[in-house]
Amino acid sequence: MSDLLSQDFLTALIAGGLVAAVPLLYASLGELVAEQAGVLNVGLGGYMLLGAFLAFVITYNTGSEWLGMLAGIVAGAAGALVMAVLCVRMNLDQIVIGIAILLVAEGATSLLHGAAYAESRPSLGSPSELAIPGLKEIPILGESLFSQNAIVYIGIALAFVVGWVLKRTSAGLSIRAAGERPEALDAAGVSVTATRTWATLCAGGLAGLGGAYLVIVGAGSFTPFITQGSGFIAIVIAMLSRGRAPWTIVGAVLFGLSLSVATALQLIGVNIQTDYVQMLPFVVVIVVLVLFARRSYLPSALALPYVRGEK
Amino acid sequence: MEEQRIIERGRGGRGGRGGRGTRLIAALAGLLLAGAIVAGCGSDDDNGGDDSGGGSGDAPISEFAIVAPEKGNDYGWNQQAVEAATQVADELGIEVEIADNSGYEDISPILRELSTGGAEFVVAQASGYNTTAPDVAAQTGVPELIWDNPEANEPGISANASTASQQGAYLAGMLAAETTKTGKLGIVISADDVNWNKMSGGFVAGARSVDPEIEVELAQIGQAGYADTAGGKRVTEAVIADGADIVFGMGDGSSFGMLQAVENADDVKFIDVIGDKSPVDDQGVLLSSVLWNFEGLYKDAIADIGDGTFGEEGYELDLENGGISLLQTDQIDDQTWSDIQDAKQKIIDGDIKVPLTEEKSQVDALINEG
Repeated sequence: MSDLLSQDFLTALIAGGLVAAVPLLYASLGELVAEQAGVLNVGLGGYMLLGAFLAFVITYNTGSEWLGMLAGIVAGAAGALVMAVLCVRMNLDQIVIGIAILLVAEGATSLLHGAAYAESRPSLGSPSELAIPGLKEIPILGESLFSQNAIVYIGIALAFVVGWVLKRTSAGLSIRAAGERPEALDAAGVSVTATRTWATLCAGGLAGLGGAYLVIVGAGSFTPFITQGSGFIAIVIAMLSRGRAPWTIVGAVLFGLSLSVATALQLIGVNIQTDYVQMLPFVVVIVVLVLFARRSYLPSALALPYVRGEK
Repeated sequence: MEEQRIIERGRGGRGGRGGRGTRLIAALAGLLLAGAIVAGCGSDDDNGGDDSGGGSGDAPISEFAIVAPEKGNDYGWNQQAVEAATQVADELGIEVEIADNSGYEDISPILRELSTGGAEFVVAQASGYNTTAPDVAAQTGVPELIWDNPEANEPGISANASTASQQGAYLAGMLAAETTKTGKLGIVISADDVNWNKMSGGFVAGARSVDPEIEVELAQIGQAGYADTAGGKRVTEAVIADGADIVFGMGDGSSFGMLQAVENADDVKFIDVIGDKSPVDDQGVLLSSVLWNFEGLYKDAIADIGDGTFGEEGYELDLENGGISLLQTDQIDDQTWSDIQDAKQKIIDGDIKVPLTEEKSQVDALINEG
């Protein structure tokens, strides 16, 4: 049986949970913005994959994590641009196009990776860490929480910034109006199409950044289908957050830590069938859903195209 | 009436961009395009089909096909299978049609296409195909080799293949026990998979044969975390943090994450399975690998088709027929390798019985015996 009090072990578990949470945090944060504007991105996992692949290529070839992260944003936004053109501008079905984007991203990244890197299987090495002076020395928590890649701290701060923008600024009001009463926004002279387009691009960029983090920090390499359904989990987290951006931190960290707890339960030899242990992260999400979903609320115009003059 | 006209106008004239029907068609077209791209990833490889050009010679067939779930360059199951099929085709002077990256969904259209397109024998290289493939074989009359379904042996139609991979894992366990400095070994698996369970049990038994007191711990990444590279890295980091300095990893794509975790740690070694990752082991952490070689298996199956005995009994990869072996690297000292070779011979002779643990619960029980 494992020594539960081992500092290294607990540090690895908490750090692992946080690493698993960050891609979900970015993707769910972006999806939350898009949903508030009335756009449901079923292809969120596709944006993540595109971001992951381009981030891998750029980081591997330049050696710069930051250029890789930037490439992830660009690639994710490019995927979202397709969504914006087809669904926001041309009013095609958001579910169908979302599925198409996910399938294209899975196929294209698998194809490109197979052609360029399948033989060499390069890895990106250890990611950089930014230790916060004073806090890093705290036992267990210091090493696991306050000695992370800078993009982790940026993500947490961004959740609060997005929350503030949505609640306190005219841009945020426009976004929420685009998802709730787009005809009212239109009547006020603000373009619903432009608002939804920017929100969708925001979702793509942030999901792409999540994918970039996944390959640069989480895995250290790219493999086809690496996101493993993270896009759908991020959509659930975004919906559970009820439009409150900081809650995406709670949802993502809860899921990530549940994965670590599942690993810990196996290593300490708890006599429970592994199948049940592996269900833990999903059970946690379902429990949270049951506890909080009654008050959850989705924009009334979510996934509906907006056409001026049509009700 | 007026309301009806408004509805019709609204549906039909959205900014002059076409109605719902047009949008639906466009959306479906997009979905079809996506499907086409995804399908394009699978290389039903006419060009890649190895036209050995030597004619059939003495071979009982002139062409066979192999269907694999993922691309044949994964340094694992799919690559070993594709390379073995290509090698067999070269040696026998026959053609092979390679359909790798065919996925895990309904495989019957691909199997049927290959069976009716000239292949006289089809290898359905995934246990997930083992119920569909016998049906297709019965319908088309083209014999198929399947995996992990002993009930499907049917003369002239289908034959089952399996592995005694626990034998190779036993040797890997011996190697790990003789190499560890911390006295703790880690096993990381991507899923509750029969082959992973068999090898986990063999590994534990092999390690305990060297040191009965050695600690072994096992962690599973997820329900089907075969491609979960990040999960592989995360779980392996936890295992290493818990004191393991030798990690026996079974995972397909996720094993690259395991390798990353080992590379980032100090004084930790990795033992892989199925393929040989030496070409991508930049840090020199690969201690060994339990190799699976399908070449003899495919040759035997083709020979049995010629003899008319295909499907009368199944096939197995093991140490004796060379289908299972342990990779020798320069990190293994001569004495340890000699011990391993002795044990290998004893397994072949039946002097060492390696436990068969097809269920995860059996592996857990074996670990807890220590």
